[in-house]
Amino acid sequence: MRTPQRASVRFHLAFAVLGVTFLAIFSWVFLKEYLAEWRTTQAQFDQLQRRVKDPHALSLAAPLGEIQQIWLPDLNRVDRCPTCHLGIDDPAFVSAPEPYTTHPGAWLRTHAPDRFGCTSCHGGQGEATDFRNAAHQPIPYWSDPMRSPQLIEANCGACHRERRPRQAVWLEKGREVIANAGCIACHDIPGFSLEELRAPRLESVGYKVRPEWLRTWLADPKAYLAQARMPNFRLEPPEIDSLSAFLLAQRETAPLDSAGIDWSKADRDRGRTVFGEARCVTCHRLEGRGGTMGPELTTVGSKVGRAWLFSFIKDPTHDQPGTLMLRYRFTDDQIRDLVAYLTEDLIDPGAPQASSEVRYVEPALIERGREAFVRHGCYGCHRFSGMVDLGKIGPSLLGIGDRAIEAADFRNAAVVPSRPNWLFLKLRAPDTLADQSRMPTFNFSEPDAAAAVVALLSIRRADLPVSRVTDQPRPVRYEPQGTFGALVARYRCLSCHQTRGWGGELSTVPLDRIGSQLQHAYLVSYLQLPSAVRVSLEERMPWFRMTREEARTLADYLAGVFVDDSLERPVPLDADAARRGARLYQTLGCRGCHSLGGTGGYVGPDLSDSGRRLKPGWIEAWLSDPGRWKPGTLQPNYGLKPEEARSLTAYLMTLSTDRSGSTP
Amino acid sequence: MGRTIFRVGWPRTDKDRAAAMISSLVLHIHPAKVQRHSLRASYTLGLGLTSAYLFGVLIVTGVVLMLYYTPHPLDAYRNMKDLQFVVTFGPVLRNMHRWAAHAMVVVVFLHMCRVFFTGAYKEPRQFNWVLGVGLLLLTLGLSFTGYLLPWDQLAFWAITVGSNIAGYAPGLGAEIKYLLLGGNVIESGALLRFYVLHCVILPLLAAMLIAMHVYRVRKDGLSAPPAAEPPPIEEMAPGRFPPSTRSYGLMALADRPAQPVVESEPDDEVLTWPHLLYREVLVLLAVLIALHAAALLFNAPLEEIADPTRTPNPAKAPWYFLGLQELVSYSALIGGVLVPTLLVLALVLVPYLDPVPRGVGVWFAPERSRANRIFAALASAAVALTLVGMFFRGPNWAWVWPWTP
Repeated sequence: MRTPQRASVRFHLAFAVLGVTFLAIFSWVFLKEYLAEWRTTQAQFDQLQRRVKDPHALSLAAPLGEIQQIWLPDLNRVDRCPTCHLGIDDPAFVSAPEPYTTHPGAWLRTHAPDRFGCTSCHGGQGEATDFRNAAHQPIPYWSDPMRSPQLIEANCGACHRERRPRQAVWLEKGREVIANAGCIACHDIPGFSLEELRAPRLESVGYKVRPEWLRTWLADPKAYLAQARMPNFRLEPPEIDSLSAFLLAQRETAPLDSAGIDWSKADRDRGRTVFGEARCVTCHRLEGRGGTMGPELTTVGSKVGRAWLFSFIKDPTHDQPGTLMLRYRFTDDQIRDLVAYLTEDLIDPGAPQASSEVRYVEPALIERGREAFVRHGCYGCHRFSGMVDLGKIGPSLLGIGDRAIEAADFRNAAVVPSRPNWLFLKLRAPDTLADQSRMPTFNFSEPDAAAAVVALLSIRRADLPVSRVTDQPRPVRYEPQGTFGALVARYRCLSCHQTRGWGGELSTVPLDRIGSQLQHAYLVSYLQLPSAVRVSLEERMPWFRMTREEARTLADYLAGVFVDDSLERPVPLDADAARRGARLYQTLGCRGCHSLGGTGGYVGPDLSDSGRRLKPGWIEAWLSDPGRWKPGTLQPNYGLKPEEARSLTAYLMTLSTDRSGSTP
Repeated sequence: MGRTIFRVGWPRTDKDRAAAMISSLVLHIHPAKVQRHSLRASYTLGLGLTSAYLFGVLIVTGVVLMLYYTPHPLDAYRNMKDLQFVVTFGPVLRNMHRWAAHAMVVVVFLHMCRVFFTGAYKEPRQFNWVLGVGLLLLTLGLSFTGYLLPWDQLAFWAITVGSNIAGYAPGLGAEIKYLLLGGNVIESGALLRFYVLHCVILPLLAAMLIAMHVYRVRKDGLSAPPAAEPPPIEEMAPGRFPPSTRSYGLMALADRPAQPVVESEPDDEVLTWPHLLYREVLVLLAVLIALHAAALLFNAPLEEIADPTRTPNPAKAPWYFLGLQELVSYSALIGGVLVPTLLVLALVLVPYLDPVPRGVGVWFAPERSRANRIFAALASAAVALTLVGMFFRGPNWAWVWPWTP
């Protein structure tokens, strides 16, 4: 067959078909651009704003038909969310449907969109201009999808690094969980320090605990004590054997000598009285009641030995130099009775009994115990002489909020392979995520674990510019010196009280200006025999049984140094003013919260003795602006005029329970 | 004014059509008349032409993409996101560039297979085959260097694996890798090098080789006719032109061989315009339609931003090097260096080693059955290894079935 010299009809037909197809597909390119999702979204918004707004407001509205973006060079973010979220900062769209609705709450006032963008708080892919790619829901290849409401506080925490950020309850709780669980012992965690760690030293633990208790404790601390801090290391029986052999061999510092004590004279009832008077329950729990600063004492008799307990109460710092426990000024007899009460009344009848058989302990077993001690990183919490440079056993958690999670990390767990889910599982059941995981089981409750996940997710890898970060300075250790310092150390004032940002948090009264708040004489008597100012509180100041000399030394120092000059001013007090003040006391309804001579409320402190207790300058300043002195106090700010505050002060200064009129 | 640009005007007679072919620079690539044999789609499959079109599309889309691209790790990935989300026609441009690049690797490989199976590399086209091998390597190089530019995980780790294979060369391996990356690791220096290679050096080289390749084709005739068996070059007098397989030439010079080329009768030839040009336009349309459809339907992959601390498992080279990676998994030296070097060497030497001068111009000529079988075996092995690397290798390069999740 010859090829004709002219192109055949077949070719013209092919050309026509291909040409038309090409034109069609080429116009599809334009059509696709023209029908982009964001354009139709904006067109619908245009319809909406014509209904919502009046013509004048409409003429001022931002032009449509363009991509809107917020560029934040310092955060390396480009957020194009406003391209579709067009009513986000306009209250007129508060009832409009997504994506046009107004941002809820007052968040945009504190976090202006042009300064913070959208994705720094919400996550998601800010560069995207369509719903799916913006990662409203998780998408492949974008590791930072929009945070669900449950997790969004993690993004607050990326900038707000203070331990207790405001308005972020889950984040705050999570950081507390991390601090309390002692994660810092094994992991470096930005924002947490080893100083917060509390665990007994174990160099002399061989004198302290009963062997049979130690075995149950090691097997599962929570079996002995539900709120035990120590996690469960999932130890095998051989490890428990070797670890307890190692620990019981630790006898560095012998207890203080109690050989001269005649235990037959011990009176458990007197001991119980001492226990109550000393207000041990302020820090120690007993049958479900009491504080949690110290260990629970319900079954302490099954845990520790008598000689050690005697020594510990006599001088807690003898083998625990850093303890929070104060050193009471008890007599040996009082200690004897107290120890008898603790060791004989507070026992667990179901606890395993001491076996009488004497077993020879091989040195090799002790050595294996030492290896187990190191392998499990016990030295992270229980600082141990000779194990200082071993380093933290777990990986650093810097950037844990950005850790890449692969599906393989989940093994067979049937959950969505996401970073939060992985962290949650890791916290709740670390042994399910890896064989031989060294991470112990903490038995976190689900809410605690969820909160900790939020806190962990807030620890991002990319470091933000300093201008973006808010933080609180870490407290600097305050250690007063001299005789005052020695008393503060002995009675462990700073276990409960705070001053200069340092100290415990049990007491709500910071000591910084206590000398300008309380009268000297009252301080002296209160320190010797603390009486309850707030009767509704369970945690009360212990009865230290300090000497008058010691109380005077403390009060002198407090009155001389712990003062605020602005409070040290004379307030003119006269009978007229006091009468006006008494009327004000009635009209303002003070008695709803405060009691006077046994009547009134229990929310605030008892004011019956305020004339002998408080300084007038303080009362006046407090009444004028309570929130300034104690943020978040329940005391209302009545907006009192200066003379009203003075009248109330004058009235309160007349109140006294001492009818004799003499000063103590 | 039209006449000043197109001197001939719209040709209405065959003479004018022939003149148009001769007087236009662009059309001059073609002869004025071509053999009917060359027009048979079933013979060439249009693969060489398609490769050229793809190269053209890649140049056009690539130059436009360059307007939006900064070769720096801090910017490159964001540029990709901008192309994806805000640049007008950005997704189509990027997709088309990507798919055209992949298609070119496939088409160039198929073109080579076609030329081998039709014996078209034989005299006088031996050296053009060598140029073709060079173009195949350049195509792979262009694709490989372009692979890094998006600066995502896929790019980063594919190039890591690819450049590690280069490092297996004995003696100079480390130096070659250092030269390629501008350092020991892939970071801004490597990105800049790959960018310059991808946008300047390799395209220029490719353009030059393509020019030579096409020029040779033009001079040797579009494709060898099945029957033509020209005398060997050695028998020709020095300084003479080799006998042309074309009977129609403007330079019908006096010292042409005395014997007329009788094999190709004038009746076997048709005018380039319209017969060849029309077919070329149709192929162009088909290529463009296919590329547009691919670009509109399938997005070019873009994973997370490159993260040197996070190695995907398995980390895979670009797909066309997966056969190589598969070989490397057995032996780095033999699989990564020896086999590919020998293979390239063998390809270059094929036209000079092939002892059978016959069997040109027909598919699977029986005279060449041994050569065809060897080539088919090697080509299928390459394809099979590549497929294994693509679909049957999972974490730690362990064997997986593609249908198991």
